[in-house]
Formats: sequence, C-alpha cells, structure tokens
Amino acid sequence: MSEQRMGDQSFMKGVFHGDLAEDLIFPFPQVAKEEGENLSMILDSVSRFLDEKVDSAAIDREHSIPESVIEEAKALGLFGLQIPMDHGGIGLSTTAYSRIMQQVGGHDASLAVTLGAHQSIGLKALLLFGTDEQKERFFPTLATGEKVAAFALTEPSAGSDAAGIKTHAKLSEDGTYWVLNGSKIWITNGAIADVFTVFARTSDFEEGTKPRLTAFIVERGEGLTTGSNEAKLGIRGSSTTEVFFDDVRVPAENVIGEVGRGFKVAMGVLNSGRLGLAAGCVGVNKTLIKMALDRVGERRAFGKYLGEFGLIKDKIAGMLARTYALESMTYLTTGLLDAGVPDYSLESAICKVYGSETAWWVVNETLQIAAGTGYMEEYPYERILRDSRINLIFEGTNEILRCFIALSGLAGPGRELSEVSRAMREPIKGFGLLVDYAVKFARNRIAPGRLTRAHPVLSRETVLIEEYTAHLAGHVGNLLRKHGRDIALMQFAQRRVADVAIDLFALSACVSRTTATIESRGEEAAREEIDYTRIFAVEARRRLECNVVGFEANDDEVRKGAAVRSYELGSYPFDIMG
Amino acid sequence: MKILVALKRVADPDNANKVKIPADGSTIDTAGLEFKPNPFDEYALETALRLTEDGTKPKVRDGEVIVVTFGPADTESTLRAALATGADRAIRVDANDDQLDGLLVAKGLKTLVAEEKPDIVLMGKQAVDGDTNQVGQALAELLDWPMATFAATIEEQEDGLVVGREVDGGVLELSIKYPAVVTVDLRIVSPSSVYSTKTDRSFKYNEGVRFSPLPAIMQARRKPLDTKSLADLVDDTGLKINYLRFEAPPARLAGVKVADAAELVDKLKNEAKVL
Ligand SMILES: Cc1cc2nc3c(=O)[nH]c(=O)nc-3n(C[C@H](O)[C@H](O)[C@H](O)COP(=O)(O)OP(=O)(O)OC[C@H]3O[C@@H](n4cnc5c(N)ncnc54)[C@H](O)[C@@H]3O)c2cc1C
Repeated sequence: MSEQRMGDQSFMKGVFHGDLAEDLIFPFPQVAKEEGENLSMILDSVSRFLDEKVDSAAIDREHSIPESVIEEAKALGLFGLQIPMDHGGIGLSTTAYSRIMQQVGGHDASLAVTLGAHQSIGLKALLLFGTDEQKERFFPTLATGEKVAAFALTEPSAGSDAAGIKTHAKLSEDGTYWVLNGSKIWITNGAIADVFTVFARTSDFEEGTKPRLTAFIVERGEGLTTGSNEAKLGIRGSSTTEVFFDDVRVPAENVIGEVGRGFKVAMGVLNSGRLGLAAGCVGVNKTLIKMALDRVGERRAFGKYLGEFGLIKDKIAGMLARTYALESMTYLTTGLLDAGVPDYSLESAICKVYGSETAWWVVNETLQIAAGTGYMEEYPYERILRDSRINLIFEGTNEILRCFIALSGLAGPGRELSEVSRAMREPIKGFGLLVDYAVKFARNRIAPGRLTRAHPVLSRETVLIEEYTAHLAGHVGNLLRKHGRDIALMQFAQRRVADVAIDLFALSACVSRTTATIESRGEEAAREEIDYTRIFAVEARRRLECNVVGFEANDDEVRKGAAVRSYELGSYPFDIMG
Repeated sequence: MKILVALKRVADPDNANKVKIPADGSTIDTAGLEFKPNPFDEYALETALRLTEDGTKPKVRDGEVIVVTFGPADTESTLRAALATGADRAIRVDANDDQLDGLLVAKGLKTLVAEEKPDIVLMGKQAVDGDTNQVGQALAELLDWPMATFAATIEEQEDGLVVGREVDGGVLELSIKYPAVVTVDLRIVSPSSVYSTKTDRSFKYNEGVRFSPLPAIMQARRKPLDTKSLADLVDDTGLKINYLRFEAPPARLAGVKVADAAELVDKLKNEAKVL
C-alpha cells in the first residue's frame, strides 16, 4: 500500500481538473504473493466446480439453477467470499473477489448474478456500513449461504430515480421497531433470499421533493412475501421477484448506517458492486474470444479459414484490445479500492458502463462470426447474448451512469468555480482565492498533467492521454462558465464528457499495466500488451476527437427538436405511399 | 492409520509445447513453465484421503496424511494445495530437479519413512514428466516392504490392504500386509474404487479428485510445512543416473487433405508405407 495512494483524491476526479495524479495509477497493482497463491488454488477449485457441475444450457432451459448446484456452491464457500474470516467468510480482497466473479461470469451468468446479488450488493451494505453487532448477527449464516441476501431498491415508481420510492417505514411509539409497508420489483434472489437490504422512505411522500431514505436489514418473516419468478430475456436461472411488505416489524437495531442516510448507503453499495459486474464482463469476453477463435480456425468459406479474412481479423483484434482495456481498468480500480483509496465511484461507474457495453459488442460480434450457427438455440451464442443484455440495465442504467460520471466529475471544478465567482463579487476578501484559481488555471494551461511514469515505448498513447485530459478540463471549465448549474440538465454535453472520461480512464489503465509488464519482463515479452494498447488507443483517439469537436460544433438542438416534435405526433411521420 | 504421500510437481502437461531445450541438448529449460501436481500423485493423495475417512464425512480425518515433495522453494505451493485438499501436514525436501534421480528420491523417502513410521506410502505409478516409474519400486526394495504397483482399487482390511491391479485380460487382486508401498493408476479415483473400513460399500465418491473448499484453502496456511535438506536424509547425494542429452520431438508436419478413400489408401500404401 503506497503512501501516495492514501490521499482522498480520485484519479478520474483529478482528470476533470486537468490533473493526472499518476501516483494513484502507477505502478499497476499486483496481487500480493500470498493472496495470489491462495487465489490460484481457489480458481482451480472454482473452475473444476463450474466445469463439472454447472450446465448453463440446462439452467437456461429449466429457468433455474439446480438446488444441488447451489448447495455445492455454498459448501465450496462461494457465498462468503468477502466476509471476514472471523465472521466465517473467506475474507478476500476486492481484487480476488472480482477475479472469482470473472471466472463464474465467464461460465454462467445466472450463477454469477445470483452470487453477485447476494454479496456484491445484497450483503454489501452490512459489510460497508454495518455495526459489529450487526455483522456478528448476520455474517456467519450469510457466509455459508445458509441464508441468502438480496438488495431491494427498485419499485414500480422508482427505477433509476430512487426519489420515487414509496415503501415507507414508521418508527414505533416506543422507538424500538419500525413498521415497513410497500413493495419492490425485480429483486434478484427474491425467491431464495432470507435477508433483504431494503431502502424505505422515513419521511412523508411529497411529489418532487427528495425523500429521506433509510436502509434496513429485513429478515423474511411475518408480513414479508415474495412474488413468483419473472419470465425474462436472459439470466433465466436467477430468481427475479416482487417483494411485498405488509406491516413488517423491523427492530430499530436493523437500521444500516444512519436514519435518513439510506441514499448514501445505496450509492456505496452500488459503487463497489459495479466492479463485480465489470469483472463478470471480463470473464464473458474471455469465453467469447475463445469461442470466436475456435470458430475462425475451423470454419471454412471460399476455400479459406474464416480467420484468414481481413474483416474477421479486424473483429478479433478489436475484441482482444477492448477486453485488455476492460480487464486493465477493472483490476486497476479493484487495486485502488484494496489499497484503501476511499473514492472510486467514478472509476467503478466507468468500469460498469465500459464492461457492459464491451461485452455486448463482443457477444454480438462473436455471434456474427458464427452467423447462422450463432443464431441457433442449439449453440451457446444466443444464450450468452441474451444473458449479457442485463448488464447495461441493472446496477444503474448506462444512461444514468454516464450522467453520473459527467456530473460528479464536473462537481469538483464546479465547486471551485462557484467559489471563484463568489470571490469576484467580493474582490478584496476573495483575492487569495482568485489568485489560487488563476495560478491553477495557468498551470493547467502551461503545464497540463503529465504521465511521467509511463514507459517511453508508449509515448504516443501517453501524449494522447495528456492532450485529451487538457481538452476535457478546458471544456469542463467552458461549460461551467457558460452554463453554470444548468449543466445538470444538459445531457448531450454530459454524454460527451462521460465518453471522454471513459476513454481516458481506459487508456490510462492500459498504459499503466503495459508499463508494468515492460518494466518487469522487457519490451520484447510485452509485445502483445503494447499492441493491444496501441489498437485501443487508435480506436479511442477517433472517439475522443469526435467528442471534443462536438462540444463546440454539433447538431444537438436539431436532434432535440426532431425528438420533441415526434413526441407530439406519437409516431414516425412519413410513408412512401404519400 | 498414517499415510505418507509422495507428490511431485510437473510442467503442465497441457502446455508441453512450451518446454524448451537449448541447442546443445544439455538440459531442459524450465523457465516460464507452468507447474501442476503430477496427476497420478494427485490420485495418490485422493486415495490417501479416502482411506482415512468415512466417505460421507470427508471433513473428518481419521488418521494422518503427510505429503512430501522434493523440490525448490516454489514447490511449496503444490504442497499447500495438497494441504488445502485435506492432507494434515507437509514436508519439502529442498532440492532442484537436476540434483535428483529416482533412486535418490527413494533413499530420501526411506529416511523419512524411518522418521514418520507410516503404515502406507502412496504415490503415483509414475510422474508424467520423466515417466521413469522407479521410485515406488525402489523404495519398497530399500525398505524391504511389500509393494503393490498400478493399483486400480484398494480396500482397507484390519491388517492390510486388498489391492486390485488391472492387467491384460482381467483384474489381479492381491492382499498385502502393513506397512506397504502402493503406487496408483488412473482408475483409483473412480467412484467406487477405494473403501476404508469406515466407508459403507454402497457409498459412491465423485469421479476424480476432490476440489478444496475455499475455507480449507485459506486455512491450509496454518497447517505445518517443514523443510529438510536432501543431505539430512541421504549420505551420498551423487546421481546414479545421468541424462546425456535431451531432444525435442520433431515438429509435426502439416496434414494433407485427401479427396476420397481411394487416395487415402494410395497414400497410406505408397507414401506412409503402412499398408
Ligand atoms: C433482471 C433484473 C434484475 C434486477 N435486480 C434488481 C435487484 O436485485 N435489486 C434492485 O433494487 N433492482 C433490481 N433491478 C432493477 C434495475 O436496477 C432497474 O431496472 C434499473 O435501475 C432501471 O430502472 P427502470 O427499469 O425502472 O428504468 P427507468 O428508470 O424507467 O428508465 C427507463 C429508461 O430511461 C432512461 N432514463 C431514466 N432516467 C433518466 C435520466 N434522468 N436521464 C436520461 N435517461 C434516463 C434509463 O436509462 C432507461 O433507458 C433488476 C432489474 C432486472 C431487469
């Protein structure tokens, strides 16, 4: 754990200021020797379990994971991966946990989602915010899987917008318990869970005002019922149900965190949970790449193997490079988290968005390579495609997360600017601040953030990061000066900001990791890593250029107009029939 | 019952193509190879675990299983994996592969047997790297113990074992008294190939070797792992077998496609000259 990493700065938040806090991302985190040794034994056991016991085609067909498989997963210890050892768990780091979720995700999405709902999010509130007493009470049975956990936030009126939550909790007169009423939908593990992390309002409902939310641990029991499993597109073996609360009594000591601070709990849980999802996407990509490579080396057309055609090579190269970027950013972030960096919310949101979209692209291209075979139920391609779709939706939709990335990145410079504008109104008192800001601004302009620890072989990629970090900071400043708080409503601009941030983080992660490989094994042995980084950088440059140009020159208003006019009409306006 | 299991790590047989031999053929370059436990030795460990338990209660060890390997410090991960699977303690005899031959390992094991006094010494029928198939036999000779090689089934008795050996045309069953040396073959990890006196005959094991539960992996670190030097065990550490030269198998030639059966027969007859 390096000293510099302990600051409270997030690498990506720094990027929005034009800073490249390279000590946060160099050297690329390594798994410590002892944990690495344990982890390889664990992966060995997990892979054998998956290969021998988990039949994904059957799980998809039957819409359920066989009881015996769940039992064996529990006996293996897969339900207590991050629960500390003295509470009966395996006590793994986030990196090790994610690597295991990668393995499971690469084999069966239903099982990965079941395990993830239990421990990436279901019991995570207890892990992050629980008291010792609560941990003592719940962890031993959650660690063995004797009890299963679920995370219950979503409601019919509250999907992306948690402020719409209607489930409410009222404190008893004597203050010893809460009474919970309301319902949740689409709760993963609904049918099998015994312990629910439930978010309920502890203030009265008022349209348009932010409620005070509180997080509770609620055990299945009187007044808590669950609906039947929903039929769905993919991850069919995982259970998704409604959950109903009818005068459920929850002891006062089951509040997680502080009363009224449930939103913070939910965000904390999701920030870390998203990394498990991203790691699962790494696993899916690796499985798909293997399938694609098998296919292109077997199938022949026009007297050649598919792999000999340029368009196929182009797809494969993209799959390799993007998966490398995803793997690098995911394990860079888990490494930051394990090193104790407190704020990784932007980084983990980026991993979730990039991971889910990369996996979706890779599955689509792999199915395309398999073509007709890919479309047939007899083969796994279509199932993996269906299974991968959920990742763009849950744990925060990718739209919401793009807005989140942009706005929480902008919040830093925004705060600074509002202080600056206040200072301008009170010139004398605020003189110091103005000078500070001017100095900082000047420094960014004259000496933008640098990545001095990147290997010189990667100088082109490094310059790209430095250049676009300066562009991002510059445009962020312009947007804030021009629009102030209204930026919160400007989603076209937010999308550009977020996409620039995503590419910058992906590139930085690749450069950090490839640098580590070059430094430890030499340039020759790092050939593949260098090439993947270059391929990714060329793809990223195209997007970065396009997004940065778009800040100034775009057709945003035309697009908005077309959309809004169509809302009135309610349909596509034309027909060639005149 | 006390069982000593000899365990060797070998270069991952699935990645055998990564084995490099320098031009002068003097040695095998092991740099960058991935290592795995020798599969037959893993079967021996599984056998030892089955012999020291009631199959329905695999977490309770009735007796003691000690694993031993001869190798450099990084072979300890192989021993830890064995501890995670259920062995009680481990011994590493410090040595590099090129300082060892079958007889030397057998002599080292003989001294360990004198110290540990196991009822049975179990090991794979051979290691899949050198394929020498010597250590078990040499050890039995040095100890003057009964021996059963290529065991496919084992049944524990009061004072010994009934060992089934697959031979051409049938199964040879032999009864041996403790203490004894047994080397095992592939089929020893079938569902009903090993029974301790505690395990009911109707019980069926999972095919293959068991995988370690995660808590056991984490706890394996707390199990004892002793290190000894080869010189502690054997007076004369000189090699009796010297490898003169290593040579990689010739690279496989690309295949050819034949149009029909007639062409195939023609090629087999006239080019391959096998018909
Ligand atoms: C299989 C499955 C399992 C699930 N498991 C769980 C679980 O275990 N626990 C749980 O609490 N929830 C769970 N969910 C719910 C999931 O988290 C929500 O579906 C998700 O948050 C989106 O909410 P919504 O579906 O209501 O979409 P909406 O919020 O209605 O959004 C609809 C569309 O509008 C977009 N949108 C919404 N707001 C904005 C905005 N401000 N700006 C721009 N675009 C916007 C969205 O991105 C989306 O494209 C699960 C869902 C599914 C399908």
